[in-house]
Amino acid sequence: MLHVALSNIKTYARRYIAVVLAVAIGTAFLAATLAVNSSTQATLKNSLGEAYKDADLVAYADADLDPDAEEMSTLSPDTVADIRALSGVSKAYGLGYVYGQMHTADNGYTVQIQSVDPKQGLGGLELVEGRAPLSDNEMMIDEAHAETMGVSVGDVVALDDEQGKAQNVKIVGLQRSSANPRTSAYALAGMSEKAWSHIAGEQASFDSIVINGDASLDAVTDELLDYFATKKMKDIAVVTADQKVIDDVAQMTGGSDQLTMILLIFALIALVVTGLVVVNTFSVVIAQRTRELALLRILGAKRKQIRSSVLLEALVIGVLASVVGVVLAVALLAGLIAILHATVPAMSYAALAVTPFGLIVPIIVGILMTVIAASLPARRAMKLAPLAALRPFDAASMKNRAGIVRIIFGALLTALGAALLIYGALKGDLLIAFLGGLLSFPGILMLASLFVPRSVAGIGKLVAGNSTARRLAALNAVRNPGRTTSTATALLIGVTLVTMIMVGGQTAKASMNNAIAGEYPVDMNVSFYEGNVNDAKAKELAQKINAVEGVTATSTFVVTDVPVDLGEEEPINIGLLSVDPESFSKTVLDQKIVPQPGELVFSQWDYEKPTIKIGNKTLKVKNSGALLAGNPIAEETFKSLGIKSDNEYPGITIKVDDGISGSKINELVTEISDITGVDSSMIDGGVVMKSMFSQIIDVLLTIVSALLAVAVLIALIGVANTLSLSVLERTRENSLLRALGLKKKQLRSMLATEAVLIGGVAALLGMILGVAYGLLGARAALSAMGPMTYSIPWWQLVAVLAISIIAALLASITPGRRASKLSPVEGLATE
Amino acid sequence: MPLWLDVLYSFDMTSETLPKNEYAVAARGLTKTYGHDSTRVEALRSVDVAFQRSKFTAIMGPSGSGKSTLMHCLAGLDSADSGEIIIGGKNLLSLNDDQLTEMRREQIGFVFQSFNLVPTITAQENILLPLSLAGKKHDKAWFNTVIDALGLRERLTHKPHELSGGQQQRVAVARALLTRPEVVFGDEPTGNLDSRTGAEVLSLMRSSTREMGQTIIMVTHDPVAASYADTVLLMKDGSLVGTIEGPTVATVSEALASLAE
Repeated sequence: MLHVALSNIKTYARRYIAVVLAVAIGTAFLAATLAVNSSTQATLKNSLGEAYKDADLVAYADADLDPDAEEMSTLSPDTVADIRALSGVSKAYGLGYVYGQMHTADNGYTVQIQSVDPKQGLGGLELVEGRAPLSDNEMMIDEAHAETMGVSVGDVVALDDEQGKAQNVKIVGLQRSSANPRTSAYALAGMSEKAWSHIAGEQASFDSIVINGDASLDAVTDELLDYFATKKMKDIAVVTADQKVIDDVAQMTGGSDQLTMILLIFALIALVVTGLVVVNTFSVVIAQRTRELALLRILGAKRKQIRSSVLLEALVIGVLASVVGVVLAVALLAGLIAILHATVPAMSYAALAVTPFGLIVPIIVGILMTVIAASLPARRAMKLAPLAALRPFDAASMKNRAGIVRIIFGALLTALGAALLIYGALKGDLLIAFLGGLLSFPGILMLASLFVPRSVAGIGKLVAGNSTARRLAALNAVRNPGRTTSTATALLIGVTLVTMIMVGGQTAKASMNNAIAGEYPVDMNVSFYEGNVNDAKAKELAQKINAVEGVTATSTFVVTDVPVDLGEEEPINIGLLSVDPESFSKTVLDQKIVPQPGELVFSQWDYEKPTIKIGNKTLKVKNSGALLAGNPIAEETFKSLGIKSDNEYPGITIKVDDGISGSKINELVTEISDITGVDSSMIDGGVVMKSMFSQIIDVLLTIVSALLAVAVLIALIGVANTLSLSVLERTRENSLLRALGLKKKQLRSMLATEAVLIGGVAALLGMILGVAYGLLGARAALSAMGPMTYSIPWWQLVAVLAISIIAALLASITPGRRASKLSPVEGLATE
Repeated sequence: MPLWLDVLYSFDMTSETLPKNEYAVAARGLTKTYGHDSTRVEALRSVDVAFQRSKFTAIMGPSGSGKSTLMHCLAGLDSADSGEIIIGGKNLLSLNDDQLTEMRREQIGFVFQSFNLVPTITAQENILLPLSLAGKKHDKAWFNTVIDALGLRERLTHKPHELSGGQQQRVAVARALLTRPEVVFGDEPTGNLDSRTGAEVLSLMRSSTREMGQTIIMVTHDPVAASYADTVLLMKDGSLVGTIEGPTVATVSEALASLAE
């Protein structure tokens, strides 16, 4: 039987290309996920381990070792001195940072300072220029920050210590910049131990002590532990440097495990879809081989032999495809990291790490998935009667009975899941809704055999019209309901998830936007806190901004802080935002915050009384929850208060075009920043917040959609595969149609229609499901935060449908060409 | 009976040393119906039949006479409703699927009208297929005898689609003969061949009965093909209705014409 199975693969290799591709992609996804995880760990090890790279041992305080102690032991400079005196220790230095302010000629920076001693390994730093600091007023600094600060060896800078006392320090050396994410945020400076202790003050203590030993590590470790025991420092752990790095990485990656989990979920989705493609391919291949398998049964193949032969084929394909997939994944990641190294030199510590686990697991999963998926069709093959070999060839029309058990189980899961999902959505409980989705989706998929063929048939009838070719296509599409169902289901899974993410994201965006509109009464707001712009200048700038494309209106305001007696012990400062009500009203989103003459719109807190007395006047009060730089008041009213204050600054409110896109808003902010000289981070307002949230959501959507696109891609390979196999199977019939007068073009369009029907209906059903899941999911996730605004991204959905249909059309090209190339006579002669 | 005994027993029955039963295949009271109520068809009505060893027998009859059903039942491809079929000392109707499969593998050979060969493997692999399914080695001398008798030596490495129709049928005959089965069944083995090639294949089959002592049972509707047989059995409406010994084209055609009346 082995040679029969192998020769089948050899002869029909082309029929298996698609399934190998699908399995390879699925496996590659899993392998890449695991490799990303191990590479992250390795990269972190490279960077976190930098400080310990030449060290043997690390001593640090671990509260778990002495849980009863009220305070953790401190590792002081004295401790370091004691350790250096131990017989087995050759080098030891404390690792700890104090922060100081450093001033160059034109700017000030925060630096973190570490103690270094050239005789004790220079604190793990690597000198690249100059020399190590020897005296108290010398310093070394990392080269990357030195460059951005514009300082070099020989420069003198001022350094404030933690007490704020300044001293002049000479830069004598530069060390290689750190890749450690814990220390690379600030400039890292090295100073002599004495200088470090001085700056750190009396409380000076290290995070850890890094030790090199002369004797065997065990002996040194024992000596150190003895020392700490005599000092009654029970909570000090002494571990090897390698162990410390592993611990640190584990501590750091508490979060990156979640990333791996999320990626694993997507990998799982891709694998499930792949499994469906495998089931389908093998079902079709076996249907085509019915007579051959039955002949083998006649000639004496036992049922088990037939099954093993099919499983053997699956095994060979699984092994081949999984290995290809894993190689693909490793090559892809290696390529990405090489690109990263080439384009971002600072990321040179990024490393590709491939563990045996990460290689073997995807291969095993890929093989198992293929064999398990093929075992269903294999069982069907096993049940073939020998007599099937002698029957007329009618494998193309097969009846599949939907398993009653599956239907009942599916219906139960769907009902339970839907109930939980709706409950979760109404109550705003994401966890329950998530569980509901997790139960109902597989339930619906189990019921797919009930609604998918019917939908395809129904829609097929609708689009067929009078065209015979299209009517035949519609009939062909549901000729084998089981096959249609599993082909469509593979695509439906992907489309449902993509649509769900799109609808959920869009709804989240819309709800955010509404929430923001309630809080931010203006699109954009520029304030000139620094006092370098006066009222007149602000009006002039407002005119300039008004001319910028995308801006529809501007208005200026002046914020004045006024002490107001509210009956408390001391007068309270209230910011009055005086505006010209007419122009101001054109820039606000909510007309309620436009002040009437003699009125103050109060937004700082809920003001309880109907009036307020400011200066010598009593004003009416209208409460508002809007976020503004002050409480709006009409210009005229403000002047009538007769308040003179130095404590005032002007600003501009800006209304932008409603249809403006997120990226355009960033450009606009930059442009306004250029005009006004105000840093872009100081320009806020609803539109800016909206664009920020939209961008975050869009980035998330893009990533998730890209991950799900893999599943859709695999499903589309499945559509192409099923169609081309069906065409092979129907060679005689298609030839008969050609003989009876079907044109080549009609034959091709018939196959295209069939593909589009299956692909389009699967996409359509997936979308309906996806919209429902998306809206319910968004409600479950977000309704607790505020009122919901439901929004469906119609254009994106149209695009998904269009892509599915176009892909299905593309999938029909090769089979169509093959079918139409065959002359009717040849086709009819084919057995 | 344990499997190993079973196999041993079946070996004994085919071995040359033991005295042989006069009949290679015998059936008694064979009944088979299809469908229910209005669609009910009685394909076999209590058929009693026995086929002499080392003889070439043809079964003939009009369409729907039950000749194919009879052959399918005798070959263990279809199960009869009642009766018994004895091949190699065993009753086919009492065997389970695996035992029946082993029976087909070792004691029964087949030549069909078309689709005889597995298309993906070579002629030689096709010939050896029943033995390789059983995990057995073939007798090299016998293999050479069969191959030379059928003139297939030059074609062994070819795939089925590289062979002519007549060559494909000869490969099928070689496969059927290689296991030295109790009986070879032919289902219109020359139906797809031109008359010259058909005659060639039929002569080969007949000479295998004469020279190798093979028993052959063939279903056909072609009087010319039937004329190569030693005996022709005639069927109508699920029953055996006549026998022609030493048939000629003329006697067979005449008998068929009288059946059609």
